Amino acid sequence: MKTFENMNQLFSKLDELKIVFGKGIKLIPIIQSLIDFMKEIVPLINNLTQSIEESNSKIPKATNQITKVTEATELATTEILDIVDKMSADISDTAEMLKKVMERDKKKSEILQKIKAAIPADSKIEELFNEYEKLEKNKIALNTIGESLQKIKADAYNITMSLQVQDITSQQLAAVKHLIGSVQMKLVSLNNNLIEANLDNIELKLTSEHSFDANADYTKSPERQEMADSIITSHNSTSQTEVDKLFS
Amino acid sequence: MLKFLVVDDSITMRRIVLNSLKNLGYNDFVEANDGKEAIEKLSGDAQINFIITDWNMPVVSGLELVKAIRGSEKLSKIPILMVTTRGIKEDIMEALQAKVNNYIIKPFTPAVLKEKIEQILSTN
Repeated sequence: MKTFENMNQLFSKLDELKIVFGKGIKLIPIIQSLIDFMKEIVPLINNLTQSIEESNSKIPKATNQITKVTEATELATTEILDIVDKMSADISDTAEMLKKVMERDKKKSEILQKIKAAIPADSKIEELFNEYEKLEKNKIALNTIGESLQKIKADAYNITMSLQVQDITSQQLAAVKHLIGSVQMKLVSLNNNLIEANLDNIELKLTSEHSFDANADYTKSPERQEMADSIITSHNSTSQTEVDKLFS
Repeated sequence: MLKFLVVDDSITMRRIVLNSLKNLGYNDFVEANDGKEAIEKLSGDAQINFIITDWNMPVVSGLELVKAIRGSEKLSKIPILMVTTRGIKEDIMEALQAKVNNYIIKPFTPAVLKEKIEQILSTN
């Protein structure tokens, strides 16, 4: 009797198993297509991770290049500033020498006029004096040279002012470097999620210090300074009103 | 007699500011590469009575420098002119709240530098 019951239980379990197998048979094509899909996607993922690793390995080189560009432009700018400083000093020396020559000429001219007044009238001497005075008109040319030197000096100074572009572009480059560093972080994180990547080989070097202004802009338009001035004026007048209120 | 402290992490900018000061007839100045160095220079030189500083610098920024100076009983009265690339309204407001005396946006012209220094001197 007990054996019969056991047999019934066995058949019942076999029926359940048959149902499961029945459903399993229906699932087989789906599982098969999933396996096929996996077969296709795995090489793609491998390619993707490989490509991410390659990109990551190139990033430090790119940031190094940016650093080199910044250093090179700073060096070149310093050299230009040195040359302009030397030029300005030479111009100042020349202008000083010219000034002395002109002062000496002025004195010479004064002495000459005194001599002219002291010597009795003589047509030959008069003629020579007039000839000499014509030569004296060169002083006008010396004045022009002096003015030109001052203009060259001012132009040289304006060159140095334009070199502010180096500071501004170096800040822009620093911002790009920071951005590249952020992209590298994202790529490493993505790679890490796709497969268990070996992070030891990847140089993680994200610029942490923000010693740059990402919005630095080389524009000579006065609009931004005017805007700053108006904010300052408004701020100062507000502060003054507050002070006035305190004393009223 | 004015003694300037020029603070900027860019050698180029420091030289440009110094050249401009020389052209304006000022010849007494010291330099610092960042806010930290500036504080060291200030604590070692009581004659410094005018500061021209950049904002974006490593270690200690220009804004932090301004706050540190304004928070110091000994140094709080020194006029500060900020010369920076930061040109948006919020930045200018932040600098004013930190109590800079005036604000110049790079690239600056010699005329603007002269005007701002004179404005500061006339109100101090």
